[in-house]
Amino acid sequence: MPDGRRKTLLIGSPNSGKSLLFNRLTGMSHKVANFPGITVDVGMGAMQALPDRQLVDFPGTYSLQAISAEEQVAVVQFERALEDPDVEQVLCVIDATRLEKSLYFTLQVIRDCQRSGKPVMVLANMIDVLDRHDLPFDTVGLSDALGVAVLAVSARSGKGVAALVEQLKTPDGIPVSAKFAGTPDELLRGEAHQLARRFGPKGDILLKSQTRLDSFFLHSVTGGVSFFFIMYLLFQSIFTWSAPAMDAVESLLGALAGFVVPMIGNQVVADFTSDALFGGIGAFLVFVPQIFVLTFIIGLLEDSGYMARAALICHKPLRVFGLTGKSFIPMLSGVACAIPAIYAARAIDSPRKRLLTYMAIPLMPCSARLPVYTLLIAAFIPAGTALGGLVGWQGLAMFCIYFFGMLVGLLVTGIVSRMSADHYTDLPFVLELPPYRVPGIVPIVRNSWNRSKHFITKAGKIIFAVTLVIWVLGYFPNYGANLGESWLGTLGHWIEPVFEPIGLDWRYGVAIFTSFLAREVFVGTLGTIFGIEGADENMVPLVQHIQASDLAIGSGLALLVFFAIALQCVSTAAILAKESESRSLTVKMLVGYFVLAYVASILVYQVAGLFS
Amino acid sequence: MKAGEACEILEYDGVLAEPYKVRLMEFGFHPGETVICLQAPSFGAPKVYRVSNTVFSLDDEVASHVRVKSGA
Repeated sequence: MPDGRRKTLLIGSPNSGKSLLFNRLTGMSHKVANFPGITVDVGMGAMQALPDRQLVDFPGTYSLQAISAEEQVAVVQFERALEDPDVEQVLCVIDATRLEKSLYFTLQVIRDCQRSGKPVMVLANMIDVLDRHDLPFDTVGLSDALGVAVLAVSARSGKGVAALVEQLKTPDGIPVSAKFAGTPDELLRGEAHQLARRFGPKGDILLKSQTRLDSFFLHSVTGGVSFFFIMYLLFQSIFTWSAPAMDAVESLLGALAGFVVPMIGNQVVADFTSDALFGGIGAFLVFVPQIFVLTFIIGLLEDSGYMARAALICHKPLRVFGLTGKSFIPMLSGVACAIPAIYAARAIDSPRKRLLTYMAIPLMPCSARLPVYTLLIAAFIPAGTALGGLVGWQGLAMFCIYFFGMLVGLLVTGIVSRMSADHYTDLPFVLELPPYRVPGIVPIVRNSWNRSKHFITKAGKIIFAVTLVIWVLGYFPNYGANLGESWLGTLGHWIEPVFEPIGLDWRYGVAIFTSFLAREVFVGTLGTIFGIEGADENMVPLVQHIQASDLAIGSGLALLVFFAIALQCVSTAAILAKESESRSLTVKMLVGYFVLAYVASILVYQVAGLFS
Repeated sequence: MKAGEACEILEYDGVLAEPYKVRLMEFGFHPGETVICLQAPSFGAPKVYRVSNTVFSLDDEVASHVRVKSGA
């Protein structure tokens, strides 16, 4: 849409390093990774070297003939942008190491730009990879053949970026020809094929190491073993790597509360500061290290190129449940947060499988479940180890409950895919396997920090607000003297019969009730209800309180199962309704998963009762 | 195709949906082009093929629609 701001469009094929170049030019931190389809929406930012110029980043697409939803977003927005008088030029990013997959799209972009009278420049990215192998790249020859300027750049090393900025300072200097303006797609495809043969890197040196690594990671035996080992490491590290930072956050908040609260004379204000303010902040701040570690490791897997292999490995098993290997990436993203996972599902070209993936994502064990699992596992599972310290019981329990959520998600999609009529044309599986590379630590750290910040600013606000409300409801009208007779107690007793079949009293009922806003609220609410000073920033007293209470292990296990299944996140529901364009699907999922969670938790409680 | 085998693409059959035929050609699977099967994992996982300098994984469901001549 025209808004008076000077704009430069950035477009390219998937996994061409476009978002990394966007980040380098704008100083922003859009998520980048080494597999196709990471950018799923149009982004915009001012260029650092040219602050009056906006750079518009489009999702990667192989062609202007869109197949998937993410490509459709890119194509429609790109065609609309070409009509925008504020757009001064178009930058088309190609992967210089793999011209074949980029050039057809590039020729389509050049043709459409020529029809619209927009100057276009081709950026041959990843030139550092060719340099490293002493492979030449003929920018002049390709420029002559395409009839547009071609510049060799490396978004990773920064090579050629200064020259690009210089070129952008004088957009009028970029020539506009009409060489391909009237050429149909069929002829462009043949032309791209010829050009790729002529200008693409010769020999197979670039693929040697990739083939060697694939023969290990995709091998029938070593591939499966390494897949399970990597996934197990992922879950173990969530506990072990983040523990020191979690302890530090707890200690800091505890010390701050210990310093501030004694200085407050008024008892109500002191209680409010101690339990509601410090408790509310601690309730979400303590989990930031775990979210950071989880996002960091997923980032390492994505950027190394392993994630696409994992999708391939999972394709066959996922097909049994009506899904595709491409569902694996959104589903694993769902382990961090369901919201980006739902966006990532756009990359699934089959509408039916995309819909089924939407149904599986809320059952992936997202980071919001982590605080609840941490609390319940610490309360009910012993902290000992086995096999000479190699396996921790609590880590194993975490692995099992994570696996349980995934399994339920798969069973649900498997049943739905068999029961529902196929209203869609199903599309088969084709996946580009990117080269392996050493992950770029800085962008991954930046992305992990952004994810943590997002948790603090979005989920944190809700948790903090709910904690405050819970504190007020629990403190008044008798000023904290008797929780059972407080407003919260009255509400809790009213809903208590619902949770009696799981062996839970009104306090847990209230905590579950509030957690439908966001799952992690459960811990903060429980801490506030139990009235443990500093319970939210330090989980140990809360764990001890639960252990000392009469809560049966069956109820603890039932709670774990309930949280593994129920869809308790308003943000996820909102994004789901938007992306699926179906409110009825969202409502069905909210109700269906609650009923399933409730029935499953009753079953677990009853079965556990038989053994105790 | 078995791992390590090379083939020349002859044509696509008429069953494969047109958008997918076009997409495969965009990826480089043109008639006349040489395709090498790099990996053929067990348990029915999609095979891994190399065409030009790019590696793709294709489900047998797709690959079965591409007619090839072995020994390229």
